[in-house]
Amino acid sequence: MTWNFEDLVVKAVSHGEKLGATYVEARYHSISRSGLSARNGEIIGAEKSFSQGIAVRVIVDGSLGFASTSSLTQEDVLATVEKAYKKAKSHSKLQKKPIVFSEERLGRVTYEATAKVKPEDVDFQEKSNYHKELWKNVSTAISQAKVATMTSFYGESLEEKIIVNTDGAYIKSRIPRLSLGYNVVVSLPSKGVIQRFFSHAASGGYELINQWNVHGYLPEDVKTFEKILLEATKPPVDTPVDVVVGSEIVGLMVHESCGHPSEADRILGREAAQAGKSFIKPNMLGERIGSEYATVIDDPTIPGSNGFYLYDDEGVPARPRYLYKNGIINEFLHNRWTASIFNTHSNAAARAMSHEGEPIVRMANTYFAPGDHTFEELIEDIKFGVYIKSYMEWNIDDERWSQRYGGLEAYLIENGELKGLVRNPVLELTTKTFYSSVDAADKNLAFYAGTCGKGEPMQGVPVWFGGPNVRVRNIKLRVIG
Amino acid sequence: MIEVGEKIKQHALKAGFEEVAVMTYSRESVMVKFANGEPSVVQNWSDRVAGVYLVKGQRILGTDIPIHNLDQVYKTIDSLLTMHEKIPPSMLYAPLPSPEKHEPLPGLVDQKLLNAIEDPSPVSEAIVESANRYKIDTFAGMVQLTYEQKCLVNSKDAQLVEDSTYLKVYLRSFAEEGSGQWSLGSRRLDMKKIEEVAETASRFAYESRRQEEYPPGKTNILLSPMVAGNFFNYIADMATASSIMMGFSIFMNKKPGEKVATEKLTMLDDPRNPELPGSTSFDDEGLRTYSKPIIEKGVLSNILHNTKTASKMGGKSTGNAGMVFPRVWNINIHPGDHSFEELLAEMKEGLVVTNNWYTRLQNYIEGTFSTILRDAILIVKNGEIVGAAKKLRIADSFPRILQNIVALGKETYDMYWWEVDTPTRTPYILVKEVGTSKHTA
Repeated sequence: MTWNFEDLVVKAVSHGEKLGATYVEARYHSISRSGLSARNGEIIGAEKSFSQGIAVRVIVDGSLGFASTSSLTQEDVLATVEKAYKKAKSHSKLQKKPIVFSEERLGRVTYEATAKVKPEDVDFQEKSNYHKELWKNVSTAISQAKVATMTSFYGESLEEKIIVNTDGAYIKSRIPRLSLGYNVVVSLPSKGVIQRFFSHAASGGYELINQWNVHGYLPEDVKTFEKILLEATKPPVDTPVDVVVGSEIVGLMVHESCGHPSEADRILGREAAQAGKSFIKPNMLGERIGSEYATVIDDPTIPGSNGFYLYDDEGVPARPRYLYKNGIINEFLHNRWTASIFNTHSNAAARAMSHEGEPIVRMANTYFAPGDHTFEELIEDIKFGVYIKSYMEWNIDDERWSQRYGGLEAYLIENGELKGLVRNPVLELTTKTFYSSVDAADKNLAFYAGTCGKGEPMQGVPVWFGGPNVRVRNIKLRVIG
Repeated sequence: MIEVGEKIKQHALKAGFEEVAVMTYSRESVMVKFANGEPSVVQNWSDRVAGVYLVKGQRILGTDIPIHNLDQVYKTIDSLLTMHEKIPPSMLYAPLPSPEKHEPLPGLVDQKLLNAIEDPSPVSEAIVESANRYKIDTFAGMVQLTYEQKCLVNSKDAQLVEDSTYLKVYLRSFAEEGSGQWSLGSRRLDMKKIEEVAETASRFAYESRRQEEYPPGKTNILLSPMVAGNFFNYIADMATASSIMMGFSIFMNKKPGEKVATEKLTMLDDPRNPELPGSTSFDDEGLRTYSKPIIEKGVLSNILHNTKTASKMGGKSTGNAGMVFPRVWNINIHPGDHSFEELLAEMKEGLVVTNNWYTRLQNYIEGTFSTILRDAILIVKNGEIVGAAKKLRIADSFPRILQNIVALGKETYDMYWWEVDTPTRTPYILVKEVGTSKHTA
């Protein structure tokens, strides 16, 4: 493996030290991407893009400064260090509480994730044809309704980082990723429209395309969407029912209502004007939030995951974080600044999107721990309920307490069996109600890909979220419309 | 920068591409982020990047790339050339248009703002001081000051340059149970306006410091410019031809001339407004921009096009080209004739919603959505504010909201923040019988 710009990163750190900063960190960060997009199987265009630069963080008189440049000459990189230094220093007079980082054993390693089939070894024509074939299969799958439009997009990327800081970190990493997504609209003028937007993404290579098998399942999904338009009835909304929440929704729920509120920087108010605060207050570790079945883990080290890394952007070694454990608020996500405030150690949650972003507290791969039921066991004692398999609309308040999910594919459950489709059921409940109402989960752990947004400027980082199918008792549903 | 663009263009033409456009950006930007009433980080960016549009045999290819190392740019262009043979002609292809006479847009650079990029600490000090004038517990937010130069060269011999500055500021204040948030986007550094942002955020925080439950259901709602800005960001984007073609639009089955809103609503795409940060004199295809209604007196007036979408759908470019897809520059909602008090009187009973986030759609074609209200939700009874409500959602559809607009305020505000990504000038907007929702347990 060859690494460019390593010497510049080292020079940036020593220049910051010479200026008098008490902490200096420099990160070379590049992302090369290529991809293509299509509408109704016809190619719109292809792209091959590249971002690279060096990001510098300094602490000067207790004030934190960040500067970034895409110009990788020694002169410009050292000038960037000086900008970070100067602007941090000029703001130190407004600082009430000096910024301090926790003491950590930092890594000095090189690692990379591997692509079994390198995307660059696959003929681009094959990638282009994929969309044409997909449209052919999807558009001919139904006869009564019509696939009004389908947009599809494919992307491959390689992220490289060299991270050096004055506390001893020296990390080099290289992570390839692949993504494939689509927006499909099924229309029947007399019945309305169903829309499904979905993306796959993971670290790895072109072998993922076969694993995702979109060609195999999307035509079947489209048949289901047609059926929803033709047959689905109104969900029960008058009285509480038992609900089986599909793993796709459970994954989003744990990301939004466990992962985000467990971010220690939010808990401390650092994102208060952007992504908001947290219902979790600094003294709530050890408090009960759910039933004994509610365990949520965030683990950056899952091989092949979208949020994969082994060391964070401050050089701290990664490990699984048990955020909620058997219903108890167990651990926050920390970087070195929040860890110092909480008098603990960082659990390696500091990540930046690109050279343009400061490392902030982020999730990686967050999931609800699977249970011991089969899916059939999960529904067998439900007399009357609803299984919500997938969603479109969703949102959650900025303290991560009141959440809402608009079901897309959903079924009635009667006497332990799945019955007919229901249209647009809405699960709208508080975080505590959800985790407290869980009384079983099945064994089917599945992960879903996303880009998690946070910070200012907005930083989108690749994540996975997942879980099994989960049963919650006695929930009143709503309906869209 | 023109020279850099020319070099890239020449390389691409020599390599074998038939059409080339190169938009280069040079940016210097500083941002001070605040939390718990003090700066949490000061951030600085220096960037020189290019967006390159390339065509050969009607195949469209492109790259976004830093331009400090031209050899790397050339290498990328060469590898795009080898890719072009592997893809079919683009379904969106149309030739680049011939350049028009350029009409520069004066007033896009503010020297005072430019100076403050070097040392933003006086602006930060003024923000801390003004936010703390009110009875609040603390505040958070950010101020960003940016200088940008953009240059376009293309194979139709366009050579265009534009310098601009912009300010983005938003602050969120907290008082007991309450909070308030407000924002501003401007081409100029105006300390008085920044102080007004702090004052408004703090006033809403104070007014919502004690909250009560408000039952969900249909209710009259006065959308603040923050919320109206968010909604019209979605709606204006749905008027771009690409959103319509790709199934992300309530206008998918509509045509210009159809009534889509109450006649009280006129919404422009307003690139020629030099006060808003999205203003520009030329688009990414080198065409002159112009301000035009998207909805005029309730009627859908214009779909926003570049040359490619116009050619595909019939029509002509509206000067809204991005590199491949059309885009909105600035949104400008025409004011009405009501004072704030008159809007409350007209509403009689209902809610003033001051901020929202997480607007998500169940279905872009039908426009069904929900959004969660955050910060002050003020309860109105008998035309007067009598208290503040706990959190609620708006759960409705955009077509219905457009049809239910009752009145607009006569004052406008320039909004620009996370949830209002396209700078938007809008008044308060009163909508009748809006659906609201809340968690069931």
